[in-house]
Amino acid sequence: MSRILTFVFRRRGHGGRWHWTDIATWIWLIGGTILMFGPALWLVASSFKGPAQLAEFPPTLLPYIQQTAVVEGYDAPLPLYTATLEDGSVEVLAEIRRIGVNSQMVDPENPGERINVNIADRSPVREIGFATGNYVEPLVANNFLRFLWNSVFVTTMATLITLLTNSMAAFALSKYRFRGRDAVMLLIVATLMVPLSVILVPLYSVVNATGLLNTLWGVILPTVATPTGVFLLRQYMLTIPDELLEAARMDHASEWQIYWRIVLPLAAPALAVLAIFSVVWRWNDFLWPLIVLSQREHYTLQVGLNTYAGELNVQWHYILAMTVVTMIPVVLVFVFLQRFITTGIAGAGIK
Amino acid sequence: MGRIVLKGITKSFGNAEVIHGIDLEIGEGELVVFVGPSGCGKSTLLRLIAGLDRPTSGRIEIDGEDVTRVSAADRGLAMVFQSYALYPHMTVRQNLSFGLENTRMPKSEIASRIDEAGRMLEIGDLMERRPTQLSGGQRQRVAIGRAIVRNPTAFLLDEPLSNLDAELRGTMRAELAQLHERLATTMIYVTHDQVEAMTLADRIVVLRKGMVEQVDTPLGLYNQPQNLFVAGFIGSPNMNFFRIRATGGSAELPGGLKVPVPCDGEVTIGIRPQNLKLAVDDAPALEGEIRLVEALGAETVIHADAVDGTPMVTVLSGQPALGAGQRIRLTFDELPHLFGTDGMRLNPH
Amino acid sequence: MAGFGKTLGRAVTWPLTLVARAVDPPLRVWQRWTGTGGMAAVFLAPNLAIFGVFVLIPLVLNFVYSMTGGTGILLDQRSFIGMEQYGRLLECEDYTRRITCREDQFWTAVTNTATFVIFQVTLMVTVSLITALILNRNIRGRGFFRAVFFFPVLLSPVVVGLIWRWILQRQGLLNLITVNLGLEPEVWLNDRFYAFAATVGVSTWAHMGFYTLILLAGLQAIPRDLYEAAEMDATPPMRVFRRITLPLLGPNFAVVLVLALIRGVQIFDEVYVLTGGGPGTSTLYLTQYIYEVGFASILRNPGLAAAASILMGAVLVVLTLLQLWFSRRAEGRRAR
Repeated sequence: MSRILTFVFRRRGHGGRWHWTDIATWIWLIGGTILMFGPALWLVASSFKGPAQLAEFPPTLLPYIQQTAVVEGYDAPLPLYTATLEDGSVEVLAEIRRIGVNSQMVDPENPGERINVNIADRSPVREIGFATGNYVEPLVANNFLRFLWNSVFVTTMATLITLLTNSMAAFALSKYRFRGRDAVMLLIVATLMVPLSVILVPLYSVVNATGLLNTLWGVILPTVATPTGVFLLRQYMLTIPDELLEAARMDHASEWQIYWRIVLPLAAPALAVLAIFSVVWRWNDFLWPLIVLSQREHYTLQVGLNTYAGELNVQWHYILAMTVVTMIPVVLVFVFLQRFITTGIAGAGIK
Repeated sequence: MGRIVLKGITKSFGNAEVIHGIDLEIGEGELVVFVGPSGCGKSTLLRLIAGLDRPTSGRIEIDGEDVTRVSAADRGLAMVFQSYALYPHMTVRQNLSFGLENTRMPKSEIASRIDEAGRMLEIGDLMERRPTQLSGGQRQRVAIGRAIVRNPTAFLLDEPLSNLDAELRGTMRAELAQLHERLATTMIYVTHDQVEAMTLADRIVVLRKGMVEQVDTPLGLYNQPQNLFVAGFIGSPNMNFFRIRATGGSAELPGGLKVPVPCDGEVTIGIRPQNLKLAVDDAPALEGEIRLVEALGAETVIHADAVDGTPMVTVLSGQPALGAGQRIRLTFDELPHLFGTDGMRLNPH
Repeated sequence: MAGFGKTLGRAVTWPLTLVARAVDPPLRVWQRWTGTGGMAAVFLAPNLAIFGVFVLIPLVLNFVYSMTGGTGILLDQRSFIGMEQYGRLLECEDYTRRITCREDQFWTAVTNTATFVIFQVTLMVTVSLITALILNRNIRGRGFFRAVFFFPVLLSPVVVGLIWRWILQRQGLLNLITVNLGLEPEVWLNDRFYAFAATVGVSTWAHMGFYTLILLAGLQAIPRDLYEAAEMDATPPMRVFRRITLPLLGPNFAVVLVLALIRGVQIFDEVYVLTGGGPGTSTLYLTQYIYEVGFASILRNPGLAAAASILMGAVLVVLTLLQLWFSRRAEGRRAR
């Protein structure tokens, strides 16, 4: 263990001396790690707790499930408690029902005899366990499976259309000289200044006029013509030598084939970065779907989650579990593709 | 098949005209080299023939057909690019077959053409590799192979050897010459290297500033340069020029050697360094002082300043015992080249 | 993994390949007919069409909406009222007292947003800069820690809001800490001050990784030999920071600052989920005001929302122009 620690904390370069800045660095980094990952881990841990356990204070770190026992003479399994009896002895008893501050209990070994215990004198028998119902029930009984599907549909479609239309536009803007090219570029730059939140009202009426209100396409289409994507791809395509395109022209390729068979494969790294960004953006979109979608069956996960969390009687055990579900794709992206994104941002300064 | 005719071709980029009216006829099966200093418009002219750019005015004919407005793909030509322009995401086989698939050729035909090209260029073992896994010479072969499989009416080669090292360039040059002999297809070859031009060409087109200076066979250019530019451009080291006032049917070189001239007035006399030799008698000679001696073994290059200060170079065979600072007396057997004040060749009567 | 990725890639692209092949013949005809210039139009068309319908037209319509009245969303249900909406937003009897303004909610949102932006951007820039400086040190596992700070950036605002709502609630994790410190548990989000602080803190938590990355890229672009030269001159560390690091980081720093401002002005999602603008209106920010006036409230007034969004847009345009200017400078420096 200590060897691992020395390995981790060994500083490169300067001998073994610890400067106060090294200590500050490690405090910042370790504190940061706890602060950055901690809340999400806490969420995951909490999402496996039952409603009763969620209401407890102080909360436990890990999810527990109360043990039950099947007792002769009772149909349903009864919850088990450790009870301190009047004579001071401690026994494991099953609770039949609670009356006021008293609990009517029974010894599972001896089902005939009922014992009354003050509820202050009993504590539940628990072991680590996962309340998987938190996940299964909202997916099956509530609409969350529907929301999940809607989110997947929106994300996939929006990303595919984004990649296609943006790459086509980027191809035209990087590889052709035509009148009005600079005007188009300027137009695209200008719209960088017009975030969606500025045109909510008229966009709503346009979506309404095109009959897309309350449909998933109404969520998808306004988001796909991103100037960022066109920019990113154009910058990359400018690095593809024109001679390759000319070689293809000599090779009888049509302009469309040049785009499809030469430029797209060669722009794959930039396309991958844009695809990852697009997936994360569209999966996380909230305000616009919130405005466009007014019927429950069309909600995306984000909107559905917010609606359930906004109800008067918040069912935290379901909300937490569904939040974890919502987090899963993004965590996968993080684990496998984080390097792509960070280099993408460092290179292009986009998000 | 493969007769290419250019008529009055001009090309402007914006307001700048870079090709100023070129007329040229390239015969069937001919290997024509476009040569000239950089910026002379030789690559632009090739791209016009290829169809990658459109001429501003003029007419391009291939086998008697006007192709000026025909797209690059439909002219039946194949091009080898300076950077090779191999598709980096495709294997060698895919690079070769891409153009053929685009013309919807049957698969078996494609395969047999690729096999044949592979055998001819000895790249059969490289078929499944990507361009990045190939050496410079191998890439060059693949680029040529991509042109060959198309079975084009003519090959266009844009400085194809300039990215190779000197040794490889020599071998590839020889192979290209053999290839042209075997295929007997028209080839247009652009280079700035006059050794390539001289060794490969049936005819050389010397270009300068968007104009044709001279079109002739390599030896024709060497022996009968039509103007000062061609005379100075072809041949290495460069021709020595002496600007002299001629009087009474002759001009006197620095040192007193007289050369017959068909007219009076300002002339330029051009003498190739290889045509100069040491004077052995006391007769009038071309005289100067040696500045630098480059002994190459088989021959010796001598840089000297003539008595009037004009720099001159001579290539002497063997290893003559000469050193810097010595006086040198030179003479020649062949009549030197004569150019008038307009820079054009003057032919002795 | 790579093999699987390739297979998956093929499976996805296969139907697309078929489509691409199908559209080639008609496009060849078009190309023959119009030349390559016509093909440029084909390639631009889809993007520009979507762009025109969903960005350009709304952009123009926004001005139209801001000059019409009524509760209807369709233009033919609305009447032209000129600059009335702007007047309503901007008029106050006494400009020192927010309550006397005709649309005091708007002014609440504006002052809240301004306060939020000041605190959040300061905190954000400070924390990101410190983290970037630390990550730029010669530490073990730099890639790992860079990823650590980036993790929350990917989380959706709804998830971020819910995670922190869960932590800040009465039986939440934060109260576990306060109780262990011997303090009273607190319903954090019911307190005006704490709720505001929570929106500042949580949005910083969620986005600092992004800014850290930009600053880190700027730091890594500073040539190492400059530091070595400074070391040879025995320059004290603070002086190195002030005279070398900060000036050379300048353009990136400005980009971060302006980007953070732009995002800060538009803050909505995570705050809406976290506090819903409450308690009262203490965390009501501009975008939420626009959303509620335009869509959510019973007495909705799209014209007023449009007018407010145009005012917000004007601020954003200025900020974006600043950002473009700074990033051009940053690029120029990198090119040199």
